[in-house]
Amino acid sequence: MKRIFVQYKKCLACKACETACAVEHHPAGSLAAALGDRKTQVNVRVLGIEHESFPLSCRHCDPADCLDACPSGAISRDAESGAILLDAAMCKACAMCAMVCPFDAISFKATHRSCYDRDVAYKCDLCNERVKAGRKPACVEACHSGALVYADYDANRLKQASKSLRAYLLGEEGLPPQLELFRELRRKEFARRRGGE
Amino acid sequence: MDMAQKGHDKRSIDPAAVEMLQIADREGYATIWERYEKQQPQCSYGQLGTCCRICSMGPCRIDPFGEGPTHGVCGATADTIVARNLARMAAVGSSSHSDHGRKVALLLKAVADGSNTDYGIGDPEKLLAVATRLDIPTSGRSLPEVAAEVAAVALDCFGNQGEEPIVFMEKYMPRKRFQRLKDLEETLYATTGAKTGFLPRAIDREAVDILHRTHFGCDHDPLSLVAQSVRCSLSDGWGGSLIATELQDILLGSPTIKSVKANLGVLEEKSVNVVVHGHEPILSAKVVEMAQSEECRKAAEAAGAKRVNVVGLCCTGNEVLLRQGVGMAGNESHSELAIMTGAVDAMVVDVQCIYPALADLSSCFHTRFITTSEQAKIPGAMHIQFEEQHADAIATRIIKTAIDAFPNRNKARVHIPQHSSTAIVGFTVEEILKALGGTPQPLIDLIVNGTIKGVAGIVGCNNVKVQQDFFHKTLTTELIRRDILVIGTGCWAIAAAKAGLMDLPAQELAGPGLRAVCKQLGIPPVLHMGSCVDCSRMLNLAGVLADHLKVDISDLPLVGSAPEWTTEKAVAIGTYFVGSGIPVHLWPLPPILGGPQVTKILTQDAKDILGGWFFVEEDPIKTADQMEHIIMERRSALGI
Repeated sequence: MKRIFVQYKKCLACKACETACAVEHHPAGSLAAALGDRKTQVNVRVLGIEHESFPLSCRHCDPADCLDACPSGAISRDAESGAILLDAAMCKACAMCAMVCPFDAISFKATHRSCYDRDVAYKCDLCNERVKAGRKPACVEACHSGALVYADYDANRLKQASKSLRAYLLGEEGLPPQLELFRELRRKEFARRRGGE
Repeated sequence: MDMAQKGHDKRSIDPAAVEMLQIADREGYATIWERYEKQQPQCSYGQLGTCCRICSMGPCRIDPFGEGPTHGVCGATADTIVARNLARMAAVGSSSHSDHGRKVALLLKAVADGSNTDYGIGDPEKLLAVATRLDIPTSGRSLPEVAAEVAAVALDCFGNQGEEPIVFMEKYMPRKRFQRLKDLEETLYATTGAKTGFLPRAIDREAVDILHRTHFGCDHDPLSLVAQSVRCSLSDGWGGSLIATELQDILLGSPTIKSVKANLGVLEEKSVNVVVHGHEPILSAKVVEMAQSEECRKAAEAAGAKRVNVVGLCCTGNEVLLRQGVGMAGNESHSELAIMTGAVDAMVVDVQCIYPALADLSSCFHTRFITTSEQAKIPGAMHIQFEEQHADAIATRIIKTAIDAFPNRNKARVHIPQHSSTAIVGFTVEEILKALGGTPQPLIDLIVNGTIKGVAGIVGCNNVKVQQDFFHKTLTTELIRRDILVIGTGCWAIAAAKAGLMDLPAQELAGPGLRAVCKQLGIPPVLHMGSCVDCSRMLNLAGVLADHLKVDISDLPLVGSAPEWTTEKAVAIGTYFVGSGIPVHLWPLPPILGGPQVTKILTQDAKDILGGWFFVEEDPIKTADQMEHIIMERRSALGI
């Protein structure tokens, strides 16, 4: 099963994923239309956790707590892609899904998918139509630094593992030295701010 | 917010700020600190310098991990992008200082030809000294004649179309440094076959040159771009800023050593408080002057106020502090806090470092937020256009506006933190030499015999990424403890003043050598040299020492730092220090780490090329270690 993997150390917080998601999920499919439109939905948010940043979106869990908790049958799983999908027409905005979501990846507002301007739950749909057509999710395609990877779990794991082992066993450098320094200085900056030295 | 706990606040070490931030938290006033949190996480492409927005094929970003795109659409590398962005920062910074200097030169011209009578020659002695330095004949000539020629030479430095270095630099820069830069140009031409310049041809030209060469498809060579950044910055340090300093002294009077108060406690509960904020003293000096006029005094009394109390913020504050001895309300991060006291009747701003947020914040109070410059208009502010030829009338109108606002002050909301420190300020090159008996020799002797190890020049802003004044205070205290004399300007100087480091009791914090010298001369161990354009005074002092010893500045045990730096002006200052042969510490990180070659040029290669270089350090004690190490290295190279 393919998933969006986050290599958070590579996330530079440029938020290109957020913009790409907004455009992808806007009926007009353009940035100009998505800007200033209150119904524009952004299903991924780059969160700053101290000096690290993390593009957070639905993990498409299996089993998915939200799917089990939804009393109105609005949440389902696509058998082919494994994506957890949310049907805005059936959503009652009860927020049970949001309460059980371990990643707080579900938001609420009136979107272009909701009827009668009702507030509904919305979240990442893994760009289901795109991925089923053999393409990558919009956020992954927009990511320049390799922080978002859409890959088969096993293939990705083996690739990551052998890369990490090269560093551990052969002492090969992980990050470029300048970037190592940048990360270290940012870590210190945030640590000092937290400590209030 | 979890930022303030038990009197400790991670946003500031200043007790007045901590007190005001409690009010901000309670009342929900937005501050730079709150907006900074909302900006998290900030884009690392920007922080690494590898985001290029120069043409419309972009924006392009280079993947620093080396797996994504390694070139922009046009083929620009990370180093090209970083160097171009840095060059543009230097151009903006230099232009800000230099454009300030231009207005002073234009005013001197207007005073000399009699078209402006609101101002005069405030310091004839300085006029003659500057004229002599510029080889302008003075004997048998009237002051306006000499002033007209000084102004003409200054203005020519801006717009000269020749290839020769600007006159102010040629006359002020120590011989050895000038020659080194000249030789460097020739060597580079001879060895590479390509022209590279370090000596500025004209102040305006060098900034325009950067705008041109960083246009789509021009200069892509990181070394060439860095060299032009140095040339442009030198046109600021030994040009625009120097002209601003020298000509302001001529017009408004040279600063003298005096004692002042610094911190929000300078606001007075029973007076009309006018805060002047920004950088150009031409207007603010008039505001201070007019506040004491019979007309304004009577108007204030009629409104029920004790008097009109003009106080300063930021570098406009430094300028009027040095010349007119007004109180200093605080540095950059204090600007919002001052308004939150509820006791500011008007905040009058000119240019640079003015948060647009001040307009919104002022609207929560009776405070009139007044913009005055054509170049700095802020939505929500009241604009009173400043024009030099009507300065007296406009300054009076500004004060009257403040007086009119005074009765609207909500006394229940007034909270003035009772913190202010005494600071002895006004250490211009002239005043330092006077204190030393007219020659730099006593200072040189003290450095040679090791009583004072060396001199550190610190400049700076506040930066929301650093606890306000923490780096300034810790680094300064640590340096004087090691017998290193600290001089400096800008918002650093205000931080040091607020922290009491410019008062005589601070002598006790100094090492034994420096302490004894300060006690003998009756001066603090930390010297206030002025506003950020007055960094030229630091260059000038370095130049006086170098010429006296017939060495280059890069031979002297001098080192610089810009902790808590924020602005593009700081990039220009740091770069002209480096170009003048002085190593410079920076924190926070400049946006260069995305370009390995640019980083290497600035932090390593510059040492051989220019004798000055940049280094970055986050910890103030470790910074002091490195600064001391550089000083000791230079001492041993001199054999002292």
